[in-house]
Amino acid sequence: MDAEAADVALAQSGDGRAFERLYRTHVPRIHGLVRRMISTGEPEDVTQDVFVRAWEKLHTFRGEAAFGTWLHRLAVNVILAKRKTLGGERRRFGEDSGEMLERVAGREREPEHGIDFEEALRRLPDGARQVFILHDVQGYRHEEIAKLLGVVPGTSKSQLHHARMALRRNLER
Amino acid sequence: MSDRWTDRLSEYLDGELGAADVAALEAHLPSCADCQATLEQLRRVVARAQALDDRPPTTDLWPAIARHVGVVSLDARRARRRLSFTVPQLAAAAVALTLLSAGSAWLLLRRPAGAPPSQSTTTPSPILTNVGTYEANPRYAAAVADLERVLAQGRSRLDTATVRVIEKNLGIIDRAIRDAQSALAADPANSYLNLHLAQEMRRKLELLRQAAALAGART
Repeated sequence: MDAEAADVALAQSGDGRAFERLYRTHVPRIHGLVRRMISTGEPEDVTQDVFVRAWEKLHTFRGEAAFGTWLHRLAVNVILAKRKTLGGERRRFGEDSGEMLERVAGREREPEHGIDFEEALRRLPDGARQVFILHDVQGYRHEEIAKLLGVVPGTSKSQLHHARMALRRNLER
Repeated sequence: MSDRWTDRLSEYLDGELGAADVAALEAHLPSCADCQATLEQLRRVVARAQALDDRPPTTDLWPAIARHVGVVSLDARRARRRLSFTVPQLAAAAVALTLLSAGSAWLLLRRPAGAPPSQSTTTPSPILTNVGTYEANPRYAAAVADLERVLAQGRSRLDTATVRVIEKNLGIIDRAIRDAQSALAADPANSYLNLHLAQEMRRKLELLRQAAALAGART
């Protein structure tokens, strides 16, 4: 155990300064997750919601996993709940067309050709983007992703492959 | 260009193909330049994903979060000033607070039977009102033990006077904790004593954390 564990114990007892230290340690990773997972709306608002929820739920943290892991899972749940209420996030899994993935890949004649990797990631269809982020960026397994997103693992694998195929042409930018 | 293996390359990359499919694909790869090139690109996409950097928000979200959760927001200047405190200063503050709260507990314990308990002006958080839970929290005990271990390991890096001050004040806080525990044994429902005990335990953790950080910093 380290200083972070002490801060968690202090924050659980109501110490706002300890919770601020936890916030400053973890906000870059949490905000990175939020801004990549949410293609519309204000990612700052969602990041803020994550930490407000973390404070409210802090008493449920028992230390079975690292605090960062617990916080990350909580963030994913907040994000997935939030996407249902945000405009432009209505596309269901399986509706990500090949045409859209091709557009992300950036063919020669198209204006998206010069986009960088992060921008190409942002333009992926929702399902493919979320699976890609959870699997390749955050390290979740297909079974976990399927449970989080309410799909079967085969759909998660398929979406991941489509996302990777779409992104491979944006590696140099 | 794609063939029947193109859509299986991600599964191969992730080690999720069955043994028979792995053998068949590995027999196919040497003769298929397209699959080799695609596989290499997919490897690079995965590597690129894992190398994406995380950045904090462009604006500091803490003040708004602090307002939402009802804690005091500290600006960066104040935070820096807090870190600039010396251990003797922190220890002196701990002594003053401990003596004050220990004195309050002593007065409370000596109040005549039937007299109303004194009321704290501090609004306790829900956790603080149930110190039994807090005290029994194994992570609190583990955090204290670990900080004590870190402090013991770094003790030789601190000067003697500083160590003496830290130990003296830890002793004072420990006595205050024991006194509060004894008082609570006789009056377990007393909310002031529960709050007082929780505050002393938090104070101990905070003093240990600061002292361990100081010991660790003097390498």
